[in-house]
Amino acid sequence: MTAEELDPLIHVPTRLKIVATLAALPDGDALSFTRLQDMIGLTPGNLIIHLRKLEEADYISSNKTSNGTVTITKVALTGQGRAALDAYTRALRSLLNGL
Amino acid sequence: MTQPPNPHESVPDHDSPLDPHEAAAMLDQATKQARRRFQPNPPLLNVFRAFVVLAAFGSVWLSVRGQHPYTGPSGWAIAIAYVLVAVVIGWSASALKRSGAGVTGPTQRARNIGIGVLLVGWILVYVFQGALYKAGAPHDIVYGLYPATAPFFIIGLAGAANSAGREDWPMTATTLSVAVVAAVAAFGGPIDCWLIMGIGLCLAMLGNAAFTVWQQRRSVVRA
Repeated sequence: MTAEELDPLIHVPTRLKIVATLAALPDGDALSFTRLQDMIGLTPGNLIIHLRKLEEADYISSNKTSNGTVTITKVALTGQGRAALDAYTRALRSLLNGL
Repeated sequence: MTQPPNPHESVPDHDSPLDPHEAAAMLDQATKQARRRFQPNPPLLNVFRAFVVLAAFGSVWLSVRGQHPYTGPSGWAIAIAYVLVAVVIGWSASALKRSGAGVTGPTQRARNIGIGVLLVGWILVYVFQGALYKAGAPHDIVYGLYPATAPFFIIGLAGAANSAGREDWPMTATTLSVAVVAAVAAFGGPIDCWLIMGIGLCLAMLGNAAFTVWQQRRSVVRA
């Protein structure tokens, strides 16, 4: 196992933080964009770009709701995203054990 | 997403590749931070709850100790208990609101419904106390055994069922231990049941706080 074999989509500081944060929620629960932004400490633009990459890989799902005046975006880790993080964690563990 | 990305904003997608040690540290830190911030029952709050139950039940026990015949807790002990419980309710509501801000989903919904049902149940338990009084039950039941143990036995079991449904095992263990403490305390009689409840609930809260601290600090990588 080498560092190159780690999932490149998760093996980036910002996306690692995003995925780890969403994984701390129970399965099926979603987090608002603004709370996620507050927890990660990114600008909205940067966060959107990273979320898009994760969404393209089906690691997260996003859902917009509107009450007429305000649109709220909710983000959740998908089953595939959770499995990818589990696999990444296992790979990282075996890599560290081999060092 | 809500807002379109600003094209002039730098996007650090080309973040330098992480060293495995850095990645492990970052993953652990992000997970621990998230667990802490999503926790509706922070350890400090549970430690405070532990000392509140000990102080509230302890003051009631001091006020009924030596009563022959049993008449019930004195006004000052009840006042202390109510003030302490009000502070705990205020802190708990604030912690629940903060941890659940921006979170939606089936688990969140189940928790809110569960809290609503438990609150109604809590009120009904005390309505039943009125029925006992009206039926002419003796003071050591109406103002002793029943209010000291029954609410915690019933609500503890209901809370355990609700927590188990959400697969929240630490909370299931805590609420179940509350019910066990109440069942055991009932054998202490109308006077000592207050003391047993105070000590038992205090230990249950401290146990939950200790487990939460361990859970929050546990490494996900070096499991």
